[in-house]
Amino acid sequence: MAAWDGWKKGFDAWEDRTAKRLETALRSPRVLRPGGALLTAAMRSKSAVDGAMAAWWSALGLPTRRDQERAQHALNQLQSRLIDLEEEIAELRAERAKSKD
Amino acid sequence: MTEPTKEAKRWRNLLGMVKRPKPVVGATPADVVHRENKWSLLRYRPRAEGVKYATPVLLVPSLINRHYVLDLQPGRSVAEALVARGHDVFIIDWGTPGPEDRHLSFDAIADGYIGRALRVASQHGTRGKAHVLGYCLGGTLAVVHAAVRPARVASLTVLAAPVSFTDEGLLSTWTRSETFDLGAMLDATGNVPWQLMQGAFQMLRPTLPLAKAAHVLDRAWDDEFLDGFFALEAWGNDNVSFPGAAYRRYIEGLYRADGLMQGTFTLSGRPVLLRNIVCPTLAVTFAHDNIVPEESAAPLMARIGSADKQRVHLPGGHVGAVISRKALATLWPTISAWWAAHDAEPAAAAAPEAEVVAGTKPRAKRAAAKGR
Repeated sequence: MAAWDGWKKGFDAWEDRTAKRLETALRSPRVLRPGGALLTAAMRSKSAVDGAMAAWWSALGLPTRRDQERAQHALNQLQSRLIDLEEEIAELRAERAKSKD
Repeated sequence: MTEPTKEAKRWRNLLGMVKRPKPVVGATPADVVHRENKWSLLRYRPRAEGVKYATPVLLVPSLINRHYVLDLQPGRSVAEALVARGHDVFIIDWGTPGPEDRHLSFDAIADGYIGRALRVASQHGTRGKAHVLGYCLGGTLAVVHAAVRPARVASLTVLAAPVSFTDEGLLSTWTRSETFDLGAMLDATGNVPWQLMQGAFQMLRPTLPLAKAAHVLDRAWDDEFLDGFFALEAWGNDNVSFPGAAYRRYIEGLYRADGLMQGTFTLSGRPVLLRNIVCPTLAVTFAHDNIVPEESAAPLMARIGSADKQRVHLPGGHVGAVISRKALATLWPTISAWWAAHDAEPAAAAAPEAEVVAGTKPRAKRAAAKGR
């Protein structure tokens, strides 16, 4: 077991050292800049493809994915608004019942 | 356990790891007491002897992680421990955002959803208020809410919650960098994919998978350790995406503008001023937290207006220090005792209302007076 314990101690020390070095390297502009540029390029490509697909789809007069998302979000907002109103009605009823007492 | 037995156990467990049953997570009995959009409010079933305290507790977990980190395993569950101590415990399960939630705003979450959860939880107590505990990003959301809607917040507890974003950590540096094009990312993805965020978190310690593997080899003889490890891994790989509009506000208003520290952040049109937090406040920070460094969480204490405030700084990391057996034996009893000490209304005057921006609609003012 002494061999394992020795190996583990050595590993822990190496891991700690390496993690610190990698953290410094990853924070460096030399890594962040190209990394960010690559991510942005990939995202813009995806947006362009999605946009072209949506334009083609809507040219057929069909609702796009974005249209559906907006409609679903509006429904969710309506649900929240209805719950708000239910809460207000319950409060008003409670106040009215209290004032009658 | 003797060395040969330990070795035999280690190898048996390592060889049988593939067949090891999946860990049971989030098993403390709870009922859904409210459901809206994708989120729901769970109420853990109170202990058989009944609830001991007048003020319920609302747990607000991070938006991008599953809530059951606070209810990991039977015998290793924060929720279970709090229920056993007589608290009436509620927790927000944020659910999984759908593609349409790319339009879900930060205000809808921090004001609307947390406000609703707080009102529902408060109804179960006698004070009309609840203790609010926010963990990680949930802590930031709780701070923002408490600064603007203090009426129903009996006390505020924040665990490793970032409020200052000027630290030099990798996440802050990355999100502030010029090449991080937030608009391009959100246009392409809608919600921020959890895989992208998990990748960013893994970059905080790129050697972590190796370190975990070595740790498992080292402790493979210990069944209890393995059960906990796999439960935590199951949670760690079960993340959710960040709603797009909320993420944009989070990055622009908090990470880039440091809005909470500068006093420029707003919630539903009202300024989020930390000095408006006057309820008793307890902040817990961790010395080895590389996700929310101490310098990101600790400044809250100096900025809030509470006369009754306390900060606890503990060794340990972002997750381990919250859910470990040691935390269940020390941290959580401390928090429970702090809640117990603040179970009744203090003698001092109630919290003042948050500042109202000129031009706010009258209905909104009435709602604010009711803690909405």
